[in-house]
Amino acid sequence: MHSAERRTVHRWTFIWTGALVALVGFILLGLAISASEAWAEVSAALGLSLVGWGGVLQVFNAAVLVPAQSAMGGAGAQGSTGMLLSGTLAWLAGWGLIAAGIRRATGPGEGASPAAGAPLYPRLARYRDFYWSTLGAYGGGILLAEVALILLQTVLSSGVPSTELGGSAQNVGGGLSLPPTGAFAISLVVACTVAFVSGFIGASRAQRLSLPEATIGVLYLGLPIPIVLTLMERVPSLQLSLGYRLREVTYVAGLLGRPELAYWLVFTALVLALVLGINTGFIAAGSGRVDLKLGFELFVARRHVAVFRPSLLLGTLAVLMFGIIPPLLIYFIIRSAEAAVERTRIRALGLADPLAAALDLNRLKLREQSPTMMMTALSVGGVGVGVMALIIVLSVMSGFEADLQQKILGTNAHAVVSKYAGELPEYPKVMESIGRVPGVVGQTPFIINQVMIASEGNVDGVIIKGIDPQTVGSVTDLPSYLLGGGKLEILYTPEKILNRGLPEEDDAASPEPGAGDDIIRRSGKATKPAVLPGIIVGRELAASLRVVVGDRVNVVSPLGTELGPSGPIPKSRAFRVAGIFYSGMYEYDSKFVYILLKEAQNFFEVQGASGIELKVADIDDARRIAGQVVKVLGGYPYRARDWGEMNKNLFSALRLEKLVMGIILSIIIVVAAGLIVATVIMLVLEKRKEISVLKALGVSDGGIVKIFLAEGLQIGVAGGLLGLFSGLAWCVFIEKVGIKLDPEVYYIPALPVRIEPVQTALAVVIAVLVTYLASIYPALKASSVEPVEGLKAE
Amino acid sequence: MALLSIRNVFKSYFLHGKRIDVLRGVSLDIEKGSLVSLIGASGAGKSTFLHVLGTLDAPAAGEVLFDGRSVFSMNDAEIAEFRNRTIGFVFQSHFLLPEFTALENVAMPALIQRRERTGAYTYARELLERVGLGQRVDHRPGELSGGEAQRVALARALVLKPAVLLADEPTGNLDPATGEGIHQLLREVNRDLGITAVVVTHNETLARSMPRRLRLAGGEVSEA
Repeated sequence: MHSAERRTVHRWTFIWTGALVALVGFILLGLAISASEAWAEVSAALGLSLVGWGGVLQVFNAAVLVPAQSAMGGAGAQGSTGMLLSGTLAWLAGWGLIAAGIRRATGPGEGASPAAGAPLYPRLARYRDFYWSTLGAYGGGILLAEVALILLQTVLSSGVPSTELGGSAQNVGGGLSLPPTGAFAISLVVACTVAFVSGFIGASRAQRLSLPEATIGVLYLGLPIPIVLTLMERVPSLQLSLGYRLREVTYVAGLLGRPELAYWLVFTALVLALVLGINTGFIAAGSGRVDLKLGFELFVARRHVAVFRPSLLLGTLAVLMFGIIPPLLIYFIIRSAEAAVERTRIRALGLADPLAAALDLNRLKLREQSPTMMMTALSVGGVGVGVMALIIVLSVMSGFEADLQQKILGTNAHAVVSKYAGELPEYPKVMESIGRVPGVVGQTPFIINQVMIASEGNVDGVIIKGIDPQTVGSVTDLPSYLLGGGKLEILYTPEKILNRGLPEEDDAASPEPGAGDDIIRRSGKATKPAVLPGIIVGRELAASLRVVVGDRVNVVSPLGTELGPSGPIPKSRAFRVAGIFYSGMYEYDSKFVYILLKEAQNFFEVQGASGIELKVADIDDARRIAGQVVKVLGGYPYRARDWGEMNKNLFSALRLEKLVMGIILSIIIVVAAGLIVATVIMLVLEKRKEISVLKALGVSDGGIVKIFLAEGLQIGVAGGLLGLFSGLAWCVFIEKVGIKLDPEVYYIPALPVRIEPVQTALAVVIAVLVTYLASIYPALKASSVEPVEGLKAE
Repeated sequence: MALLSIRNVFKSYFLHGKRIDVLRGVSLDIEKGSLVSLIGASGAGKSTFLHVLGTLDAPAAGEVLFDGRSVFSMNDAEIAEFRNRTIGFVFQSHFLLPEFTALENVAMPALIQRRERTGAYTYARELLERVGLGQRVDHRPGELSGGEAQRVALARALVLKPAVLLADEPTGNLDPATGEGIHQLLREVNRDLGITAVVVTHNETLARSMPRRLRLAGGEVSEA
């Protein structure tokens, strides 16, 4: 048997006929599908066939969906069923013919070799094509990781009743009710660990990478869950059956605005964890037993690429901090000065002792850098630039987000309690109950409505809010936004508004000191002005209405009507501007006005309040506390919405923007990783001989992989750290020195920066991980260098 | 029982699609503590034979037994460790690692084993003194002469006191006088440390000075 030489034989007639038959079958199938107009169903399957699921799903479609449709279609569709069947048969027969055309046949052997009968080389005898246990470890691992993520996320954050479905809110026992993002972080870490460990176990047991098993495992066991989650958005029946169960998962995914992006990002993270696990397992088991020590490999790797040299590190840092040209100029100046001095010295030496000069000349030559050194420096710089850009841009975007969040939360409550329909006449009692919920630090009742506001100069549509001046300060920053030292309490004493208003006219009228103001005021002075209830308006609104404190405005409600002499007319009330606020958000400063709760009750004929605004201790916990509040109030008809929910679109847009920005900037790191691949491959080529020698001295394949991984990792770590330093330095620079922005456009005087430790650390970790992944391929290449290859005599 | 047994080993190369059988069923026993020379024409497959013996190259068929144990039935990691602990190589070129000093090169096999560094260096220094290079420990291979480098390579092969020393034309690149020094060292090593040595050589005088002489021709090994 050993001598039998087997080879692949192609019978081209079979293959061509098979291809033709399969093509005919394909056309028939296509016609059948067109005839029964089932393309909508089939296109999904065709799309999935790109990832390897096509075959199964197409059969499913052909067998179930299309006949069902044609049955509904009646007699006209009968023909297409026959066509479908014959098409399927032709398709299968075609492939059968192709398979029959490719055969393994006994070739015309050259006769038995002299080695016939000698024992087969033992490793060949042990060789196996496929490891089912490895497939189980990889595929099962990724599946387990996904299931663990979903279950953990649900268990950890359950107990948060869906505030949208207040009535069906369930008190899930044993739920830990963590904030959803915190629960997600824990679940993700656990799931990544599961994926990593299963990859590690699979690879270390088989002592090989087993790429086919990994591919099959990920494709067939890992893909279904993300695909189902993605499809859930589009398929209503799936949403009905799974949506409730996966509520917490979809909520977290929805925070990004694009849930499917979130699913696939998480899936990618899990696959990466699996790949890292596989690689780590393979390397750790490379020396026969699981061994994670790196001492020797680092010792060798550090000699091969001396990354941690002060000159390289300082040079790269200088380039990152000051750009390429200035450090390069300085470098060249120093180098040429040094070289001039050195040459003079050697010539002087040569006059005295030619041999000593020769030695020094030789030393000078030796100092020249190899191309690999240059590549190493470039790779370090590339990773550094990527990390630095990531840190700076993400910090600035975080700064914008934090600024926006602060302004939104300064004017708005963290959560709002209201009823599904109607008002809240019993609000004092409700407030008492809410006060007992831990985590709630402030609450205030309010009435909100949309009105027209008219001054003598202009008209505008605004949102009017009835507030309780005594408690509103415990929820929003409105009292501190008042300009000119105004106080909300003045709303209680409208008769004082005029007296207060006059001395401050210069202050308040600053935006547009028009002539009209004088006329109004003069006319106001001439006749004794009436005592009117006070109203607080935003700075932008005051400017567009051309009013100052003490001026009179008319508020017109389109909802309620009063009977006038000529029939129903919109309800109207006169107010006097009691104060002007400036929050820094154009939207609020131009759209919000505040009056006393009591005035609003009278004006809009509301019993009690529209709702209660809450402030919570930890804004990231607002969703959970809002849920608690509803629970305390007894569920329906009460409901609570947190700030994230109320401003969901804005914040998810911001997050998505940040994420996409992060992904785009990560491309820099990926490019730098390409540089690392090139560098390490060059190193491998340069060190072929050394690799052979090391193997001859007894370094295992795993050890070689470790050495070259360590070389790539050194570059990554050095680049990541340099990027971290320079990125943070730039952030501090932007924060302290500032980059001016046009306040008319951005409403912020300078570029905001907020360094988020987690995000910054993540940028470095991603860079190191990417370089690690990038060095896997060259490191494996290095380990496959045969020992005898480099040991041929020169 | 023989320390090294080669059983029916075949090895072929493929050149332009044609198979060239270098070893055709070589069977051989090498006793413990023996000093063996192997001669043969250029391209006869002496190096290949030595590489198979040292597990650097796998045979197409056949077995190599060390102390009765089939070395090629071990897995890669075990083979690497076997190579590290049991076999010392000296090649025609010194093949020292250029980034490391003579001392570090000699200590390398011990470091691969993750032995403690100072201990490894102490013994390596001793060995270097023994081969007459006590003054050159901190020199890089580029700064050593051919003979010096080859002595460093010999010290490196001996640092773990291997059971077998395989030398592939260790003096091929050296002048006769320097070469004789290396030969002297090889004989000393065999005599004093009891290390089994197989030396591939072109040098007939050297071959004749060895107790056992083998000749490789036509893919077969015979006693010469």
